[in-house]
Amino acid sequence: MFGYLQVQKSELLVRELEAYKAVYCGLCKQMGRDYSFLTRFSLSYDCTFYAMLLMSLDRSCTGFKDGRCTCNPIKKCKYALSDSDSYHKAAAFSVISVYYKLKDDISDGKFFKKLACRMLMPLFSHWRKNAAKKYSDIDKFAEQMMDMQYEAEHCNESSIDMSAHPTAFMIANLFSLEAKNETEKRIYYEFGYHMGRWIYLIDAADDITKDIKNNNFNPFVNRRTGEIKSGEYISSVLNQSLARAYEAYNLIDIVDFKGILDNMILLGFPNVQNKVTDKINTEANNEKSL
Amino acid sequence: MKNPYEILGVSENATDEEIKTAYRNLAKKYHPDNYTDSPLVDIAEEKMKEINAAYDEINQMRNKGRGSGSNNSSYNSAGYGSTSSSQFYNVRIYIQRNMIDQAEQILDTTPQGNRTAEWFYLKGMCAFRKGWNEQAFNNFTTACNMDPNNAEYRAALNNMQNQRTYNYGGYNQSNPNIGGYNCSCCDICAGMMCADCLCDCCRVGC
Repeated sequence: MFGYLQVQKSELLVRELEAYKAVYCGLCKQMGRDYSFLTRFSLSYDCTFYAMLLMSLDRSCTGFKDGRCTCNPIKKCKYALSDSDSYHKAAAFSVISVYYKLKDDISDGKFFKKLACRMLMPLFSHWRKNAAKKYSDIDKFAEQMMDMQYEAEHCNESSIDMSAHPTAFMIANLFSLEAKNETEKRIYYEFGYHMGRWIYLIDAADDITKDIKNNNFNPFVNRRTGEIKSGEYISSVLNQSLARAYEAYNLIDIVDFKGILDNMILLGFPNVQNKVTDKINTEANNEKSL
Repeated sequence: MKNPYEILGVSENATDEEIKTAYRNLAKKYHPDNYTDSPLVDIAEEKMKEINAAYDEINQMRNKGRGSGSNNSSYNSAGYGSTSSSQFYNVRIYIQRNMIDQAEQILDTTPQGNRTAEWFYLKGMCAFRKGWNEQAFNNFTTACNMDPNNAEYRAALNNMQNQRTYNYGGYNQSNPNIGGYNCSCCDICAGMMCADCLCDCCRVGC
């Protein structure tokens, strides 16, 4: 479930795009420092969003520094500096979520995928241990999510709400960690819940064809009848999650990176969503015309 | 207390017009209508009060003394109180206080025969508060079908419909009923997005 939290580049100001890239590069560098050179390649847009949100919430971005990309020394880039543990936290979250993703793939992937995951597993389990030492809460949430997910997918009457709940609950708890008082906690929880729900559901919508082929669980496919939800229905489910996430987001006093975060939630995410639902609609139309 | 200018996000040298615009934008953003049925409605109301107070204070400081938008504060949750005779009075109180587990417990122990339209409405409201949108949608629909003339159930279902058809950056905006209460900035953005899409089409076409 990676890579859906993107910006809409064409609508960003040049300085905003630079700031976005600087956070991305800053996080990449930190992942190299905290864990290993290899973990850099597991960096996703989602974790960049998380790092940016953290830096915005605790207002810890102190400026930018010129530097060179360590993966490609010819390329110059800027790094966003932070005086809090935002980067460490986002790096830890990234490593932990990749670890659990691998674990999940080993349990229900195909042969070659399983093999690849098995090979990466020892590395990531080592890094995850380090991450969990520092951020035991994040690891606890992720582990809890895996258990709840298994239960939700293997229960007899699984519903969309039920199967999206574990991811939504995890992100809600994750964001709640940042709250400084009870009111903030409620807002962050609500924001996280609907963001998490959206992430889970868009990933599920994106995987419908693959899941049907491999006979895997998918919340939009009825297991008994094999009925697939229409593109229109999926859009409305996703729209509602985004709308409710936006409601909560509006109550957060965001100052730093506001332009970028607004862009993501109002343009970037809907854009990603439309791409996924368009794909579903085209596939449905193709099937009809056959 | 915080500086009223800070609350409205304007500088102390801002003109009256700028302050009015800033106030209006914030009032639109926090308007309780945007938070119907949301568990965060009380927080939005607090924010609304805060900006109303800040706007009043600035006006007083500037010796304008004219009425502000504080009449907006009359939007305080008009929702529940009216149906105190309802058989699910306790459930409504629990929902209002965000004590969803307790509310659901009462609902779940209600025998099948007593599961009226109101039962489905409240069951839907519990689900909605938890973020279980699909369950909420089904229950609101059932409530409306059982009692089509009830304005309360209808309003909840309409609120859901609005959220479900609202696609910020997308093409769904062409429907005028959608997100009618949302800020015009969004409309502008959406308009620009559509224009952008059209441009893209042309390029591909050429």
